[in-house]
Amino acid sequence: MRKYRLIFSLAFQNEFIYRLNFVLWRFRNVLRVLLAFFLWSVVFTGRDTAFGYTRPQMLGYVLFVLVIQTLVMSAPSNDNVGGEIANGDLSNYLLKPVSYLKFWFTRDLASKLLNILFSVGEIVLLWLLLRPEIYLSFHPVSLLLGLLLWISGVLIYFFLTKIAVFAAFWTPENTWGFMFVILVFMEVLSGAIFPLDVLPGWVQSALQFTPFPYLIYYPIGIFVDRFSHAHALRLLAQSLIWLGISIWLSLRVWRAGLKNYSATGR
Amino acid sequence: MPVIQVQNLKKYYKVHQKEPGLSGSIRSLFSRKYYDAKAVDGVSFDIGEGELVGFIGPNGAGKTTTLKVLSGLLYPTSGTVSVLGFTPWDRKPEFQKQFSLVMGQKNQLWWDLPAMESFILNKEIYEVPDAQFKQTLDELVELLEVKDFLKVQVRKLSLGQRMKMELIAALIHSPRILFLDEPTIGLDVVMQKKMRDFIKEYNQRFNSTIILTSHYMDDVKELCERVIIIDKGRLLFDGALAEIIKKFANHKLLTAVFSEEVNREDLEKIGQVKEFDYPRAVISVKRTVASQAAAQLLQNFPVADLNIEEPQIEDIIREVFTGKDLA
Ligand SMILES: Nc1ncnc2c1ncn2[C@@H]1O[C@H](COP(=O)(O)OP(=O)(O)OP(=O)(O)O)[C@@H](O)[C@H]1O
Ligand SMILES: [Mg+2]
Repeated sequence: MRKYRLIFSLAFQNEFIYRLNFVLWRFRNVLRVLLAFFLWSVVFTGRDTAFGYTRPQMLGYVLFVLVIQTLVMSAPSNDNVGGEIANGDLSNYLLKPVSYLKFWFTRDLASKLLNILFSVGEIVLLWLLLRPEIYLSFHPVSLLLGLLLWISGVLIYFFLTKIAVFAAFWTPENTWGFMFVILVFMEVLSGAIFPLDVLPGWVQSALQFTPFPYLIYYPIGIFVDRFSHAHALRLLAQSLIWLGISIWLSLRVWRAGLKNYSATGR
Repeated sequence: MPVIQVQNLKKYYKVHQKEPGLSGSIRSLFSRKYYDAKAVDGVSFDIGEGELVGFIGPNGAGKTTTLKVLSGLLYPTSGTVSVLGFTPWDRKPEFQKQFSLVMGQKNQLWWDLPAMESFILNKEIYEVPDAQFKQTLDELVELLEVKDFLKVQVRKLSLGQRMKMELIAALIHSPRILFLDEPTIGLDVVMQKKMRDFIKEYNQRFNSTIILTSHYMDDVKELCERVIIIDKGRLLFDGALAEIIKKFANHKLLTAVFSEEVNREDLEKIGQVKEFDYPRAVISVKRTVASQAAAQLLQNFPVADLNIEEPQIEDIIREVFTGKDLA
């Protein structure tokens, strides 16, 4: 355990070295929220509800995305693992008594912590700036279920995206483009751009059977009381099933990849 | 009981063949042709505790591939390998705590942080006790003279300084077995010498087992009593460095100094004239007829001085590598 604690602290230090990158990255996130905010303000001019959302609910959703997505999708592992496999740096870890996946999850956590600290500040700032009426459930059961679903979403995201980056074991040249497409899809399908129930009914029903809504849309839905507690509990159970599936699958792909790994680049 | 046992090790890489040019690229999207690159093709050897073995061969011989299999990075195509009783590619922590693989010009240190941070991280990863860590680190830092650079960002170190740091990072858990893949590559002659001294010292002081690959014959000559030569994935030689001469050198060199002008064509009748720069000539002759050739030379030429010598080990190895004159 001590080794991962140290990795966490080194990763934290490492993030600070790229301060400017970090600040620009946060700036991009704030811009995105502002943009979404004004777009929805236009949609809501002259009416009280749209797509079944009241204005405060929708604006609440948009602000929520900032925090939830920050925690779920801040993952330096996605930018690095594919490259490390392709250029052979993975060897450094395989030689040592350390788990590569735990190593990168720890680094992700460090990045998530840093990002979440900032995003809370940003939320306060945005809130002071825009003064929206937002809705947040204060029911302890909603908060607890939402939190659990959120944590499960963080883990699902980690393992799902690892399955994608492990493609580098087979096509080391094409990882970046591949990853880019997958990440964009995940962002849209998880509800990070807009709540999923603005989509046509058939798309929604299809998405139900994928892990994506569990990353962002469902956790936020619970925080803003879109679902009954019974429904939320069912979502939590299903989320855990998806978590199990993604862990199992990513470990299988990882092991198969190692068989194919040729430790190139030296 | 040898600490490293390799039996009939084979490692074939599956390589996908791409036709040159754009149309080739497009075609290879749809149908890919594969062939096996036989990087290691049936190699066997045993290495005992405390040995320092030179592992040499021309580019692409399969040295690095073998070391990668021995350290568990690659799964072999076939054959058995046992290192300290472990199968390397099981990657058991108890195994990993006892060896290190160092590759010249490759980084395990965190690029943006001082090397010291990486050492501390390795201490935790390998679970080295505090006291042992401190002692090992002090020793290594002194031996390698890098005290002043411990707190400098790794990216700001020179190549030589970085190599030393890499070495410390690789040795901080006091491995019993060391695989060194071209540890002196890219270093200046002074640093090469220091690195060699260090390797020798490390081997003797801790009785650690070391396999070293290098393209610098000085490394091998100075450090290794035993060498293993491979080429095209096959073992060519395994034995004492001195044995190479006996086994592969099928000629000797006659160096003559003449007192009077001689004709080069006449000398060619004795053997192959390697150098001719009056008054000195070097003639290569078959081993079996060396003494007759020397007698002939003395009889028929105005010889002031004559030496019969074994060829240089570099030359023999070069010949072995190029595959000509193989006995
Ligand atoms: N990942 C790989 N995929 C396909 N072929 C490979 C791969 N790695 C090495 N090879 C091939 O295997 C052979 C052995 O390579 P290896 O790196 O083991 O040689 P080496 O003896 O270390 O050579 P050098 O002295 O140049 O470092 C070479 O022909 C090389 O082209
Ligand atoms: Mg090599």
